[in-house]
Amino acid sequence: MSLCRLQQQLLSDSVPPRPLIDEIVPMSNLREEYENGSAAFVNQIDSLTARGYDSVRRTRGDGDCFYRSLAFAYVERILQSPEPDFAVASSVSALAATRDSLDKAGIDKIVYEDIYDEFVGLISTIVQPNSAGKKLDSAGLLLAFQSPEMSNAVVVYMRFLTSAEIRVHRENYEAFLIHPETHEPMGVDAFCANIVEPLGKEADHVEIQALCAALQLNVDVAYLNGGSEEGVVDFIPFRYASGSESLPLVLLYRPGHYDLLIKGKQGEQELRH
Amino acid sequence: MDARLRRVNKEIADCKNDKTSNIRIELIDESPFHLKGSFPGPDGTPYEGGHFEVDIVIPESYPFQPVKMKFITKVYHPNISSASGAICLDILKDAWSPVLTLKSTLISLQSLLCSPEPNDPQDAEVAKHYSTSKSSFEDTAIYWTQIYAGGPGPKEKKGKGSSRSDVRDEVAIAGLEKAHVDQFEALGFQRSKVIDVLRRLNYRGANVAQITDDRVVEELLK
Repeated sequence: MSLCRLQQQLLSDSVPPRPLIDEIVPMSNLREEYENGSAAFVNQIDSLTARGYDSVRRTRGDGDCFYRSLAFAYVERILQSPEPDFAVASSVSALAATRDSLDKAGIDKIVYEDIYDEFVGLISTIVQPNSAGKKLDSAGLLLAFQSPEMSNAVVVYMRFLTSAEIRVHRENYEAFLIHPETHEPMGVDAFCANIVEPLGKEADHVEIQALCAALQLNVDVAYLNGGSEEGVVDFIPFRYASGSESLPLVLLYRPGHYDLLIKGKQGEQELRH
Repeated sequence: MDARLRRVNKEIADCKNDKTSNIRIELIDESPFHLKGSFPGPDGTPYEGGHFEVDIVIPESYPFQPVKMKFITKVYHPNISSASGAICLDILKDAWSPVLTLKSTLISLQSLLCSPEPNDPQDAEVAKHYSTSKSSFEDTAIYWTQIYAGGPGPKEKKGKGSSRSDVRDEVAIAGLEKAHVDQFEALGFQRSKVIDVLRRLNYRGANVAQITDDRVVEELLK
């Protein structure tokens, strides 16, 4: 190996990549990255903190961050439910029903049944001990989402749900499908095959809408984009839960990336564990 | 059992049970992660009647990473390397998604044979041939299908010596005209060298008029 390549390798070895999804960290961790840069971003971060959003759970910027963080928040919500038996049962039955829409969308059973089993299996261990006699706890959930095999299986299931929702209810989406780079309009099938189903392709408004609809979720996306000098942060609501009182899961958007945004109490609880 | 093995086993079984598709997947050795796929060349193409084999390697993180495929059978096609069998197809690269299977990927290879994309070539020389003279390209592809994939050969071209013989016609393999090769061989150059140079210069169809004899000789002298 040449000296130059050796040096490069040493350099890249010394900076380990961010985990697929990380421990909760205080907002100041994110703030530091902007302190020498954009004042608008810093002001927005401060205003989020002032609203009680004092922590963040960061994900790797691999193009799958939206799907990964949403899935994590989805399972974590079940895990933290005051009635876990009920929460698990209703999630498992809702997920079972999603298989119909995958079938309708023409997604082959062969390609989804294993990852479906893994995802449902993970959720079930919240109440049913696994083969090692252990139930899923916060640490176990983080570990599961940090292991590429489980984590990517879940991401792929999220992508299939998104794709199936768009394909099956195409009339709701087809007017809004735009190629993320060329900004040309795209057809439903090409959009799903090229932008939604492959790993590593970033999600935009349409995909968020479709996945929230497929999983019947309430989600808020907070836009940290330097768009306001005064630090105003827009929260874009996606409301698809049947029980309207369901608190939204909150994602933090920065251009090209999604993390999870966490409000005080929840963050403190997590950090204390 | 690990997820990759489970899925690959299912895919192999599914392909076996599917009597309607003409895609086959077989083991090459003991490993379920190194396979051989095969399918007939599509009708109405120069590949009709041929049997095409594909080497399949299932990577560690399949199905999250694309399967690796290359042709074992030599194929004359703009998007397939005539030397290595490497394939230029988006779904084998960044357009791969876990919704695809070995079978659907092999079907995509089969349709690639129907619809060459000379603007995104894997084999630049073959792509030039295709763009310069489609009919000459097709003759060559039919000949390759005959000698490498067991195809029927050209359809009754009178007196062109298309009867099967064990001697491979190097001029036809290179997609050239015998008269052109003879012409430069007569100047005293080695036949294999003439074939090589004329192939690289894409000495075919309308291009012939663009390339002076001096230019050819210059290349031959290099």
